[in-house]
Amino acid sequence: MTKLREYFQTDWSAMTGTDWFGLILTVVVFIIMVVVYVWVLNPKNKESIESHRTMLLDEDEIKSEKQDGRE
Amino acid sequence: MQAEQQYSFQVVKWFAYMAVVYLVIGTGIGVFIASQLAWPDLNFDNPYISFGRLRPLHTNVVIFAFGGSTLMATAFYIVQRTSGVRLWSDKLAWFTFWGWNLIMLSAVITLPLGYTQAKEYAELEWPIDILIAVVWLVYSFNFIMTLSIRKVSHIYVANWFFLAMMVMITYLHVINSLAIPVELFKSYSIFSGVQDAMIQWWWGHNAVGFFLTAGFLGIMYYFVPKQANRPIYSYRLSVVHFWALTFGYVWLGAHHLQYTALPDWTGSLGAAISLAMIIPSWGGAINGMFTLSGAWDKLRTDYILRFLIVSLAFYAMSTFEGPVMAAKTVNALSHYTDWTIGHVHAGALGWVAMVSIGALYHMVERLWGTKIWSVKLVNLHFWMATIGTVIYITAMWVSGIMQGLMWRAYDDYGNLAYTFVESVAQMHPYYAMRAAGGLIFFLGGCIMLFNITVTIRKAIANESAKSAAVANAVI
Repeated sequence: MTKLREYFQTDWSAMTGTDWFGLILTVVVFIIMVVVYVWVLNPKNKESIESHRTMLLDEDEIKSEKQDGRE
Repeated sequence: MQAEQQYSFQVVKWFAYMAVVYLVIGTGIGVFIASQLAWPDLNFDNPYISFGRLRPLHTNVVIFAFGGSTLMATAFYIVQRTSGVRLWSDKLAWFTFWGWNLIMLSAVITLPLGYTQAKEYAELEWPIDILIAVVWLVYSFNFIMTLSIRKVSHIYVANWFFLAMMVMITYLHVINSLAIPVELFKSYSIFSGVQDAMIQWWWGHNAVGFFLTAGFLGIMYYFVPKQANRPIYSYRLSVVHFWALTFGYVWLGAHHLQYTALPDWTGSLGAAISLAMIIPSWGGAINGMFTLSGAWDKLRTDYILRFLIVSLAFYAMSTFEGPVMAAKTVNALSHYTDWTIGHVHAGALGWVAMVSIGALYHMVERLWGTKIWSVKLVNLHFWMATIGTVIYITAMWVSGIMQGLMWRAYDDYGNLAYTFVESVAQMHPYYAMRAAGGLIFFLGGCIMLFNITVTIRKAIANESAKSAAVANAVI
């Protein structure tokens, strides 16, 4: 335990402005990523997200290579 | 012809064709320098064609000329198709085409002359770096503006991968290229010592992560479902894949610097995140492969689909191998050996080139409104690319592991068991084998160039004949 604590020991007073910027940005982006995962994996949202699966095939029907991009 | 009026495809056609030309040139140089390693007399005591100068030319041509042209062709193709609009600006698209080719021409001239910043995958000197930044920003701006005028509310996931690549490559290229010019073709990095090494590999690994992975995953998420004519297996998985990859990749660079002056914790962090990256990488590979669920029989007849699916197998393999090599215990054996070269080529030949080749064959058929001239030659190309890649990476695995074991073997008295020269002599058969594997892959590229050139010429001839027939009927 002591070794682990030593490994993660940080001298906070030595942190520069760049260090703080990087740390805060990283934590914020990480939190956003977790929020995205919760949203994506929530069963309530499954149908709406998965509805985009067929987008490429729908493209063939409405604005397709067959119809040359016309509506 | 109608499609051409609705979409800006002329520039896409040129990028696609040039990508194949660069594939042949880049792999051709690769075969030559691989042969130089096996038979050093091929350096001919000529500095302009020596290994040290041609090696960066090889990497620049395959990564930026071939890979870049493929990415530009596919991004401009996909964003139009999935947005239902033409490119925002044809002029900017043509500026991108000529600018990118000018950069590649500059590389072909300056690198053999010995002008280099000596930064891996960023060798070109500062005036060319500025041109790269300008052309890249114009390419990205045109892509983003095309998205902004789309007729479809949802932005398809492939475009997200392209966006991540554009944003991150801008950031990485500019920071890594910061330098103080002292002459027209000589500059010094503003970073020094260990910081320079860290910035170099932050760029180096993310050139792999964002240029050679994120962009090509955009290609995969469009062309696999289109070629298979089936919806992507899981759209939710694609979203998780995107965010995990984008968040994770930027951390990995430090694993290139294990056992160096870099603080120990940075290497450990790089290795830990590398191992975690297996999850999204395999999630993406599985997502692409499972798109064929219920339609695996298509692989028997559709050779273009074979390229795309086998590329995913190589992607899964190399994204497992990479994290394993990043772990310190394995890295102690693998670092500075040919194992790394084998790993890079499993990704470059097996994943990047194969998925590109599949996408290029797919686009050629649709852009010129025709079928490929010879399916038999596509099939032959597939087997040559696969066999060439397997021979190449197998040779490098054996060679690399042997090197690592010989370099760290000690006798009973603590002396090195082998001299460095002895290890070099042992490599010779594997270097010859690597050159043979590369040659097979290169010849496959030549077949592709021939096949699509004939396809395009016949399509143009047919179109002209049709136009003449219509004109005669009107008269």
